[in-house]
Amino acid sequence: MDFASMVIVLMALPLASALLMAVLPSKSVPRCVYEAVHTVALAGVFLLSIYLVVQVMATGRAVDALGLWFHLDALGGVFVALIGVIGLLTGVYSIAYIRHDVETGAMNASQVKQYYVFFSLFVFTMLVVCMSNNIIMMWVGIEATTLSTVFLVGAYNRKLSLEAAWKYVIVCTAGVAFGMYGTVLVYANAADVMADAHQAAFWTSLLPYADRFDVMLMQVAFVFAAIGFGTKAGLFPMHTWLPDAHSEAPSPVSGLLSGVLLKCAMLIVIRFYILAIQAVGPAFPQTLMMIIGIVSICMAALAVFSQDDLKRKLAYHSCENVGIVALCLGFGGPLGVAAALLHCVMHGFTKALLFCVSGNVLMKYGTRDLNKVTGILRVAPATGVIMAIGFFALAGFPPFAMFISEIMAFVSGVVTGNIVIVVIFAIALTIVVAACAHVVQHAVMGQAPEGMEKRDVGPLALIPEIVMVVIILWFGVAMPQPVLNGIENATGIVLQEDTDVLHEAPLFKDLFAGTDQAD
Amino acid sequence: MTGFALVNMLGGALILTSLLVVLSRTPRRAAYLYAVQSLVLISLFVALGAATGSTELYTWAVTGFITKVLVVPAVILYACKKMGDAGADLTPRLTPVKAIAIIAAEVFVCFVVVQGIELPTAAEVKPALAISLAHFFIGLTCIVTQRNIVKQIFGYCLMENGSHVTLALLAPQAPELVEVGIATDAFFAVIIMAVVAMRIYRYAHTLDAEELMELKG
Repeated sequence: MDFASMVIVLMALPLASALLMAVLPSKSVPRCVYEAVHTVALAGVFLLSIYLVVQVMATGRAVDALGLWFHLDALGGVFVALIGVIGLLTGVYSIAYIRHDVETGAMNASQVKQYYVFFSLFVFTMLVVCMSNNIIMMWVGIEATTLSTVFLVGAYNRKLSLEAAWKYVIVCTAGVAFGMYGTVLVYANAADVMADAHQAAFWTSLLPYADRFDVMLMQVAFVFAAIGFGTKAGLFPMHTWLPDAHSEAPSPVSGLLSGVLLKCAMLIVIRFYILAIQAVGPAFPQTLMMIIGIVSICMAALAVFSQDDLKRKLAYHSCENVGIVALCLGFGGPLGVAAALLHCVMHGFTKALLFCVSGNVLMKYGTRDLNKVTGILRVAPATGVIMAIGFFALAGFPPFAMFISEIMAFVSGVVTGNIVIVVIFAIALTIVVAACAHVVQHAVMGQAPEGMEKRDVGPLALIPEIVMVVIILWFGVAMPQPVLNGIENATGIVLQEDTDVLHEAPLFKDLFAGTDQAD
Repeated sequence: MTGFALVNMLGGALILTSLLVVLSRTPRRAAYLYAVQSLVLISLFVALGAATGSTELYTWAVTGFITKVLVVPAVILYACKKMGDAGADLTPRLTPVKAIAIIAAEVFVCFVVVQGIELPTAAEVKPALAISLAHFFIGLTCIVTQRNIVKQIFGYCLMENGSHVTLALLAPQAPELVEVGIATDAFFAVIIMAVVAMRIYRYAHTLDAEELMELKG
């Protein structure tokens, strides 16, 4: 099978699994059948995505499928790998979590079926987003991720979860409509400049013509795209849906939403950022991303500190981290872009881990209220240790993965001369560190509630979390060579420069020195 | 009268009909008015098709007629019937006069912004282009000012119509697939929003956006 067919199979697998589960009757088919189909599909997505991404990274050649409609390059590859790995881990965790929900009566058979159907559909839509080369299709994909996750957010059919689902669907569809408007403007601009209007929808085809686009129109288009797709990424000012949706969704879904979906939306912002830089120069898009980024960080840091709800705290923390990605894009240059991409990966794993841990807490304590969750280490030691590691990692402490990307963010800010922004950023991060330390001190340590039995959650819930802990530790201590290579190639695509040229940039060479031998 | 003048006139009619959708009192009436608005949109596609000689626009007109004039209003009317016209007495957050003033301001700002665009295709249809941009923001205003969540759905529909008109004006030769992609996605969005609204009504017994404000902070 050639690579182009593999790209199609990769997308078809979760779609087929969703359709298969959708036609099975929920009452007569036992739950284990859904669990099996769900796991097989996600394992397939994991294997195929890793194989394809490794191929793309190793050869340096992108794969096109269905003509030019789908395009897997190093940039998209970073995100496809994230979907493959986190999709499988949160998918396995889902099995333990949903079984617990069924035992406690929070979900019935048809809700379980609905959960697994939409989970697969969600993975499918994210893959479409990351591999789409047609700019209209990118929008369709982002919109489809909203539509496929609405019923996951509102899975429990309670007033609060339905309220969260409504806010999610209305804010995101309205926000993403901005993205559509931006896309339409880019398309119209390209169709005007290019000889063949049919080619104007393809990102790779219109990129070489971007320097001939109307400057005013492209500026308007980028603002629309940044606000529109930024809504989905959880960037200020359209982030309001995020804490509600992430806190009300079942925990594994929160992990996938926060760890992967926000990053997929950032990928589309990056695709438009690349076009805008070519069309109007770096100053305008970088300034816009810097403003959106730093405001998101500051606003979210205060919210992280003041929240008493564990999942809302984590959700606001995601706003803050997507803000960091935007800020790094705002700093620009090879170091800034590489920091942005690395942070997408590092934060993806760390946040998916912590949302799964919040699921453990919910299973054990039945509440997300941090005033009531205390002494986890005493009643569920494994969960306690993992949660402490997770929060230290989230605070950006070494030796965990996020330390690397955050320190790169600081360095890129200093190198590009944005000292004031870097200072504000540092203050905001200090507030977040304080918030994370407080959770560890109070919830993880602390006194256990009286009469609570000492028993941890089952191995099916703990194993995916341990795998994620290993990954964030591994990436923090010794980043694997293929990951570094991938980030370097992706940075090259964003800056439209050869990786050899990138090696001449200050500091970049030292960081990516190892990739020389790989070349 | 040239073909483009007709296009610009129909653009004006779009603003009027969208205003009626925003101001209509019940979701049921808004659904009928939205069908009328979509019919104006379809006429605009046909007029533009005649003026530019783009055959693709006729195809858009046909798919648009099915999705926007027939299916979307039918979905909302079905939802209204299922919920027994609940929430019909929810008044918007703004009085009609204030709503009209905001919409007028939006139209004005959009006319100013569009003057800066120097794309050759846009030269003849600048008024319609400004209107399509304004239409987008009228949709947003509708979402923000309505208390009835079913009426908020129309806000999204208006936003979507606005970007559809922009696409038609700036890229009349766009392949049908592009247009079909947008129309299909928007159509699914409306169905899913209607289903969520019906679930909210079933489990929370309200359609009032103000009552769906428990999650805060």
